[in-house]
Amino acid sequence: MLSFLEVMERVTNGPMMTAKEYDMKVFIPAVKKAVKKYDIKFDPENPCPADDDLADRIYQAALDLYADCGSYCTDTQRNIRFTREEIEQAVYECPKVVYFGEGPDRVEWRGRMPDDNTLPNCHVGSGTETTENIALKMVEAYANISKAKTVSVPAVTNVGHQKSQAGSPIETLAGINMMRLGREGLRRAGRPGMPIIDHVSTCAAGISTIAASNPDFGARKSDGWIIAPHAEFKINYSSLNQVAYFTNWGANIGQEAGPILGGYAGGPEGTAITTLAYAFHGILIIRATYHLTYPIQMFPVCSTTPGMIYVISTSSQAFARNIGAPYYALGYASAGAATRQYFLESAAYLAAIQSSGIGVEDVHPNKAVGINQALPIDSEFSCSFAHGNIGITRKDANKIIKKLQKIYLPTIKDAPKGRGMLECYDMETMQPDDELLQVYDDAIKELKGLGLNFK
Amino acid sequence: MSQKELFQQLKNALMQGDSEALTELVKANIDSTDPLEMIQQGMMPGMAEIGDQFSNCEVFLPELLMAAEAWEEAMKIIKPKLLEMGQAMEKRGTIVIGTVQTDIHEIGKNILLNLFTTAGYEVHDLGCDVPAAKFLEEAQKFNADIIAASAIMSTTVTYQKDIIDLLESRNLRDKFLVMVGGGVVTQEWADKIGADGYGDLASDAVVVANELMAKKKGA
Repeated sequence: MLSFLEVMERVTNGPMMTAKEYDMKVFIPAVKKAVKKYDIKFDPENPCPADDDLADRIYQAALDLYADCGSYCTDTQRNIRFTREEIEQAVYECPKVVYFGEGPDRVEWRGRMPDDNTLPNCHVGSGTETTENIALKMVEAYANISKAKTVSVPAVTNVGHQKSQAGSPIETLAGINMMRLGREGLRRAGRPGMPIIDHVSTCAAGISTIAASNPDFGARKSDGWIIAPHAEFKINYSSLNQVAYFTNWGANIGQEAGPILGGYAGGPEGTAITTLAYAFHGILIIRATYHLTYPIQMFPVCSTTPGMIYVISTSSQAFARNIGAPYYALGYASAGAATRQYFLESAAYLAAIQSSGIGVEDVHPNKAVGINQALPIDSEFSCSFAHGNIGITRKDANKIIKKLQKIYLPTIKDAPKGRGMLECYDMETMQPDDELLQVYDDAIKELKGLGLNFK
Repeated sequence: MSQKELFQQLKNALMQGDSEALTELVKANIDSTDPLEMIQQGMMPGMAEIGDQFSNCEVFLPELLMAAEAWEEAMKIIKPKLLEMGQAMEKRGTIVIGTVQTDIHEIGKNILLNLFTTAGYEVHDLGCDVPAAKFLEEAQKFNADIIAASAIMSTTVTYQKDIIDLLESRNLRDKFLVMVGGGVVTQEWADKIGADGYGDLASDAVVVANELMAKKKGA
């Protein structure tokens, strides 16, 4: 695989162009070309297709796409290009197993295959905005879910009464504070070695993330450090500085990407190819050993529509069959927390990703908008789903997803807002109220009736 | 070719994002057809239709951007002719738009930029990572009616407030309408910081801008 220094050579000396030229003249034509050449067609009747050939064509299309357009550095205004051979060599050499955490909480995470009969890694938690006063309890509640193996800690965006601003010293303080709270929450749950594998979601700036990674604050190289691009395939010095730092620290680096269905990549076909091609950006530029994806639709903003389920399902299958590294996906429900629709949308998304061969994470309610909207019961639901549906096939998942979509699609644009953490949990005992428990029990009963299992 | 056929062809070329075909049509007919009519009868209906198709998820951002690019290329030929003839396009208003300081997410802003253009606004794109002072400087330079500021992250939305604070500190708050939007922005936040307008979706933002401009013109 090309070294990071060789990558930086291309970041510094690649062809110069504006970001708009990259989008319009390089990226968009390359996506259209790849969709056409490999005859990728979205079929709304099969949101989770059991089609290995389609998955492999998406992989080939993604290779073509990334070889045609590479990535773009907004600081140097350079196009970072790789040959098809360099990309394939990087895929061949990238780690297929990653170790996170310490002691009894250490996790070995391997890639899976579509229709796999193994338990996916259960990742829990949320990097969504959470107030400081409840963040610690949230992490403790996540870690108390014994089926959960890795965790995201909340984004705490205030320090005292001061609101964090991206790039400001308050953000650095907030990032440090978040790592402290995160590790302390895990200790309180008796799982001090449990790996925190999201990026420091409190921090937008690279400098704040690097500051928060000091082990004195509870951070470890055996945690996972996610570095984000921005749409599509763009990176800047702030992110590249994180790569330089985390690779030299010897830490696990994750790449994350959230391509937008309806954005530069176009429809479901182009978005599926782009979602997968981010793996190449991740392996070569971010030096990622694990991958998180969260493609999302532009209108309505969520990831549970037929087009989005197709994107996540087919790109995950293509990844699992052809790359095989640790991979997981985060979904966004249109419905708010503590609603029947939230659990139905979540089940559809989880069925798609588990059967397609990747790891699971709880689906974020209410499009991840708002403060204190994620609930620990969301995480319990996803873990219980993963354990109850080991071996779920794409064919079975497809049938169930279609039934679920018939129920929730009519209200997806105007989904119920639900209730946030402070409205439906006793913050002393961290127990959900009776109303939420009833909604949860009813949803489980309904989903069991559709052929899903929960353990 | 009849004028009706010409307008239809202009519309089609624009909707297909075919810059070459559109500019050829414009060049070939600019001396024999009123350029303002070419815009109003051919190109603008095309932009409006593709804007609607985009809002209904019938086409996606690449098609919208390609149509906008074709529009820009055609306008490079039409604008000098309009000036020569002493004509001007009627515009709904002038908007400066950008993503706030430290925020590098541009898609939402780019969509809105194109929808505003489609809706008949003169739009000036300030790009991303735009400090409050730059919003103000450009708004003054273009005599803008609206400052539109996008922020996608919970840690960057506060820079939207900085724009309003800056306007207030310079006693310029009444001179510009301020619209805010972006992934994590809510009506509640817009109200809290005293923004004039907010749209949940890009298409909502155009409606809000139209309402704000109608009020401004009525005032």
